[in-house]
Amino acid sequence: MDALRGVTLDFRKGELAAIVGPSGSGKSTLMHLLAGLDKPTAGQAWIDGVEVTALDDRGLTALRREKLGFIFQFFNLVPVLDAAENVELPLKIAGREVDPAWRDRLLDTVGLADRATHRPAELSGGQQQRVAIARALITRPAVVFADEPTGNLDSKAGGSIIELLRRSAEELGQTVIIVTHDPRVAGHAGRVIVLADGQVAADREVAGEDDVIGLMRDI
Amino acid sequence: MLALALRGLASRKLRAALTALAIMLGVAMVAGTFMLKGSVEKAFDDIFAEANAGIDVTVQPRSEFDVGFDMPESGAALPQSLVSRVEGVDGVEKAAGGIGDSTSIAILDPAGERIGPPGGGPPHIAASVEPEPFNPFTWIEGSAPDAPDEVGIDSITAGEEGWQVGQEVTISGVGGAKRYTLSGIGRFGSGVPLGGASFALFTLPEAQAITGKRGELDSIDVQAAAGVAPDELAARLNAALPGDAEAKTGAEDAAEQSADIEEGFGFLTTFLLVFAGISVFVGAFLIFNTFSITVAQRTREFGMLRTLGASSRQVLATVVGEALVVGILASLLGIVVGLGFVELITGAFKAIGSELPQSGIVVTGASIVVPLIVGVVSTLGSAIVPAIRATRVTPLEAIRDDAQVARRPSRRRVWIARLLVVAGVLALAAGLFATSSFGSALPLLGLGLVLLFVGIAMLAGTLVTPLASLVGRPIERLRGVTGRLARENTLRNATRTAVTSSALMIGVALVVFAAVFAASATKSVGDALDEAFAGDLIVSNSDGFSPISPEVARAVAGVEGVETVSPLTGAPAEIELATTEQELVDGLDPATLTRVAKLEWVEGDDATLTGLGADEAIAESQWAGENGVEVGDTLTVRSVTGEETRVRVVGSVRDRVQLLVSTLALPIDTVRRRLDARQDFADLVGFAAGADPDATGDRVEELLADRFPQAEARDQQQFKQEQEDQINQLLALIYVLLALSVLVSLFGVVNTLVLTIYERTREIGMLRAIGASRSQIRRMVRYESLITAMIGALIGAVIGLAIAIAAVEALEDEGLVLGVPVAGILLVLILAGVAGVIAGVWPARRASRIEVMEALQYE
Repeated sequence: MDALRGVTLDFRKGELAAIVGPSGSGKSTLMHLLAGLDKPTAGQAWIDGVEVTALDDRGLTALRREKLGFIFQFFNLVPVLDAAENVELPLKIAGREVDPAWRDRLLDTVGLADRATHRPAELSGGQQQRVAIARALITRPAVVFADEPTGNLDSKAGGSIIELLRRSAEELGQTVIIVTHDPRVAGHAGRVIVLADGQVAADREVAGEDDVIGLMRDI
Repeated sequence: MLALALRGLASRKLRAALTALAIMLGVAMVAGTFMLKGSVEKAFDDIFAEANAGIDVTVQPRSEFDVGFDMPESGAALPQSLVSRVEGVDGVEKAAGGIGDSTSIAILDPAGERIGPPGGGPPHIAASVEPEPFNPFTWIEGSAPDAPDEVGIDSITAGEEGWQVGQEVTISGVGGAKRYTLSGIGRFGSGVPLGGASFALFTLPEAQAITGKRGELDSIDVQAAAGVAPDELAARLNAALPGDAEAKTGAEDAAEQSADIEEGFGFLTTFLLVFAGISVFVGAFLIFNTFSITVAQRTREFGMLRTLGASSRQVLATVVGEALVVGILASLLGIVVGLGFVELITGAFKAIGSELPQSGIVVTGASIVVPLIVGVVSTLGSAIVPAIRATRVTPLEAIRDDAQVARRPSRRRVWIARLLVVAGVLALAAGLFATSSFGSALPLLGLGLVLLFVGIAMLAGTLVTPLASLVGRPIERLRGVTGRLARENTLRNATRTAVTSSALMIGVALVVFAAVFAASATKSVGDALDEAFAGDLIVSNSDGFSPISPEVARAVAGVEGVETVSPLTGAPAEIELATTEQELVDGLDPATLTRVAKLEWVEGDDATLTGLGADEAIAESQWAGENGVEVGDTLTVRSVTGEETRVRVVGSVRDRVQLLVSTLALPIDTVRRRLDARQDFADLVGFAAGADPDATGDRVEELLADRFPQAEARDQQQFKQEQEDQINQLLALIYVLLALSVLVSLFGVVNTLVLTIYERTREIGMLRAIGASRSQIRRMVRYESLITAMIGALIGAVIGLAIAIAAVEALEDEGLVLGVPVAGILLVLILAGVAGVIAGVWPARRASRIEVMEALQYE
């Protein structure tokens, strides 16, 4: 049995889209395929003019450096680096110059300007995830993938994270794709894609949490 | 709980295998050494028993004390006339005198070089053909020599050299080189190799001539008449013979001979066991670290077990059970691998031309039980602290996520560590400064080193941060963020890094110690030689340690341009003092020595030596001070055969490295006549004032090559180089043996890296997600490995240097001066770095294979 079958989706620049669905619906698989983390048995994925599914490891590394940002459920900061260093890390790895003004603006945007020199262990879960968001945005990627970004946070911290992602989509023109099973999170997205049994069950604009819950109930 | 331990082990095969490997190597060396000892001892027992099979009683020069194997052999012999006296004793069926001399000849190849390994090696033994039933040889080809120009050669030597019956063989004896016709090839005993020794058989008169023993014998073999027991006959002979001859049964003699060889071999086994011990000790660090990390990683599991009602004793049992299983399996494997170690050592001996006798590997009880105990005890001992730590896990920790926080070393731990370091330093100091002999110092030194290393390893956690900076900063500057992450990663759990690098620290410390000590020894000998030698050439055996014929001095003295030849000799003797011990008594030539050597007189002057009477002696001042000997005293010197000579001390010199005078020096004629010295250690040669040094040197060399091929003339520089080469040869052997412990410590680095990478799977996946390439991940891990290795190497180098300086200081009275081989130490550090990078290769590859997916999904 295939995890995904006959799925065709387009994401626009600056769009905030949420992929929802029950466990086993194939939503994580979809994200992995879109981000080039996994290879489909058939089909293609394109990002910003690049055929992701045709890249080798070297090409995928370059793609991740230039066009992708990731936000994980478990934050995954490097514990031995402070907040500012964690934010800069993608640039350092890519061997690119760090623009301090841009880094400071991102830290300011995520509300951690005064915590720049704190190490992850000294930050709360919500703060850590905000560092992770700044890290995902530092390279001005074309697409940010967020995998259950609020899964390990309380609802208040989760809310502010989604707000941040929405603002980054609007203000910075980033495409943000969120995988979540939480209708509240999806409610903040402009577009919701519901997956069920490896197929797109619904794909439309939504207006708030209740709309999403309704949408999911329909399926 | 044991079932749980086994399951746990099975699920962590890789680390179990790496841990087992570390134990196995040390155990293999212990087991192999025991097996080697057993095999070689049995082989020698067999050889001598067989060689003495037809000999009921043997008469030899009396031996009042056993000459140590670091002493020159006594040249005492029996007069040939003694044979008829032996024959006259009631119960003697047959008696025959023979020669068996291992210091007088060199068998040469067609190029004129001594056969066997270059630079000396196993002895060449001159022996006379003995009548049946005493003859230990079986002639395979040709027949026994029966003319003065014929020689028989043992089958192993003839086989190695490709010699055939009827060809010509040149053999150099006391009187110089001489050509012989090979009359026969014979098998000695059962024909097993005798440690590489070669036999040349001659007719009795020729054997006497070539060894300089005309009219003399080394032994008289006796066959007892029917019905006379050998020990009864030996007793009768002892009653009838003069005091300087001694009769013993053939069986006794065989046992003594093999005991002598085993004593020398025992030194080798002790030496090997010391290095096996080091490997086991280093392995213990690895085991400790592996179990510590495993316990930390399993905190949640232990907490869960506790919530399910497991007692802390049961938790302890799972960890100890795991250690026990690993220890037993690894030790058993080690014993099997030990067989390979035996092959390795015998192969190495064969390669250097000293094939060990083998009549099959002997696996004694000790060669199984001892390694098993060593392996299991060291594993359990190292795992016990982590096991106890596992029992402290509370059920609550099963739920918490932050269980793997690095703990700062507790105050108590730091104090224990300091205490260990202090105790270690005290034990080392006591061993170095407060003991009189090497034998009594060794246990203290070993204990001191163990305490010191454990203490430093415990304290190293605090050293890791500054050292990681020192090593890591340059990498960071060069390689940027991967270097930065690598450095920070070594600091995550400083204690863990400390223990890992401490294992390498031990190896490096010992290597540096050996290097500095060897350099100091070389420098000391060189300096002393510069001060003491005033001649132009030193003639000595080309192997650097065997004696040379006294004829050499006479021959060299006749060379045009040579003005002075001053022979040096020495003999083992007992000097009657408060504690009478075996000493080396030197023989100097009073007439010539002052012309080619400068003595550092404490009492007396060169005229004292020039006028030295036959019953007068010069003492070494340090030795004299230690033994309460003063100028003017009269001492009794006893030779190996028990002959006593009274000598009066008339002067004293300081000779720090015992080049010319180690205890007492007597006129060379006295040492030859009264202490049975037949050969010379060396000849100091001085050229005439107007002679062309190069031409004269060439003439001396020509003479030696022609007549005494086993002797070699070296100028001061060459002689120093020769000494240095010899020390470096030993050093190389020590390096090879230490390499094993370094290898074990590198397994430790690999193991720690693999375990920490496993811990950091999610983080590495994240790094990949944010754009790190596989090669960046690989680099990061390799740098971490490099930094860890360099921390150990730096601490080790400092400790090794410190101990070497202390040791040189302690041996200052023996004339040791400090020499620091800076380039050598730097090389060791570089090699440690390279080793670190190599150790990181495999873990780095594993780390680079981690996929981003794992960062997303890993829980």
